[in-house]
Amino acid sequence: MTQTPQSASAGEHLEPDTLSAFIDGELSSEVRQGVERHLATCHPCTLRVLSAMQLKAATARAGNRYAPSPEALARLTANLRAQKKPEQPETKQTARVYTMRSPRYAAWSALAAAVLLAVTFLGWHQLHQTNALSAELLDQHLATLSSAAAPQVISTDRHTVKPWFQGRIPFSFNLPEATSLPPDTTLQGADLVYIDHQPAALLLFTIHKHQVSVFLTQRDTASALISPSNIRAGFNLHSATTPDLRIVAVSDVNPAELDSLLAVLVQAQKPLG
Amino acid sequence: LSAIQLMVGMSTCHYLPARFIVSLYPSHLRQIEALPIMPSVADSSADFEQLALPLMPSLYNHAFWLTRNEAEAEDLVQETFAKAFPAFDSFQTGTNFKAWIFRILRNTFLTTRAGIATARTVFLEDHPGTLDTTAASEPTPEDNLIRLDNQAALQLALEALEPPLREALLLCDVEEIKYKDIALILDVPIGTVMSRISRARRTLRQLLQKQIGKSL
Repeated sequence: MTQTPQSASAGEHLEPDTLSAFIDGELSSEVRQGVERHLATCHPCTLRVLSAMQLKAATARAGNRYAPSPEALARLTANLRAQKKPEQPETKQTARVYTMRSPRYAAWSALAAAVLLAVTFLGWHQLHQTNALSAELLDQHLATLSSAAAPQVISTDRHTVKPWFQGRIPFSFNLPEATSLPPDTTLQGADLVYIDHQPAALLLFTIHKHQVSVFLTQRDTASALISPSNIRAGFNLHSATTPDLRIVAVSDVNPAELDSLLAVLVQAQKPLG
Repeated sequence: LSAIQLMVGMSTCHYLPARFIVSLYPSHLRQIEALPIMPSVADSSADFEQLALPLMPSLYNHAFWLTRNEAEAEDLVQETFAKAFPAFDSFQTGTNFKAWIFRILRNTFLTTRAGIATARTVFLEDHPGTLDTTAASEPTPEDNLIRLDNQAALQLALEALEPPLREALLLCDVEEIKYKDIALILDVPIGTVMSRISRARRTLRQLLQKQIGKSL
């Protein structure tokens, strides 16, 4: 503070503002020296200064009156320590402002939310469908295992099995030679089943003493959605594709041998030469 | 400068709110009292916490005096931190952090309902006729012993002070902030700070005299 309302001159009492600034140490050195000279000869002003200093000290005590409760202090401290660098809060704040203030951004937000919802639903739907398909294939396999009824085609001869499907399914497939099958793998027969309301060829194999069900469906049908391999209720479901077919094998045999059978079936679909 | 301030105050304060009087204050003179530009920029959240944490009791106390409410005081301090932290990059080290964050506290308060009401209240800046500042209010040494030791009486007197006067006085006496920084916090010229503090003290004395007069 370099200015005062009025310099204290000899014979005049101190102005209230000057006195106040004096006890606050806010006067320039020149003005302060003038005040000190005045106080040296003016008893009433000296008393005023003394009283003003007492009032200042008392005000400091009385004014420092409110302290936060321990709970409030803990909350405020936690809040202060939770402050992060600006990026995150600013992003949040910006998003909130756009949403609240701008119909354009609100529309974009709604569109984004709708797209997200649709993608999520489609993802869920596909997952749900895949799971349902796997369950259906497993059910078919279990039905084959538990059914006393023999399949419609009982034959180890591929030349018998393949023609049987002609006219029953809207696609064709090839069967490997018996000699091409993996070791101790035998074709036992075949049946016509419906997977997800679509006709499918069910080939029954044994690998050692394990029953294997192989489902052949058209690849372009929606029911062909299934993951390459998964395990349900202790049974392995492995799938493979050809340009026209999706082949799913279900069995409790070890996965490597199941894959070997699948590989042979896939190979059989390739044109000769 | 003070003569101009006094003249402006005398010619306008009868019918204009404080903010208009402030705007009439010559801008080139305000430049003289402007705070120095700070040299470097602080950028660490740890620094912010280190600087802000010790001030929490002071900020809460001042927030309570502004809001007169426990919950609102806590909210005000919390919001002050929320606003101050993202702006911490703009705070320049080497300057008064306390003044900086008290200014944010006050500006935040002015956006609250209570703060808006306070801002709308017409406050007449120092006017010689507003208060009786004659020798009759001058204390005797005996008065000092009786009044200044009576904390309860002083607290009542503080509560009775007009908010703009109390605010300036508390920043000076309780927070021990210099006039130039109080001017920054309150966004008023430094001369106004000086006159408000002086007037606050005179008013306190008058209020104490009334209280003592009743009780005796």
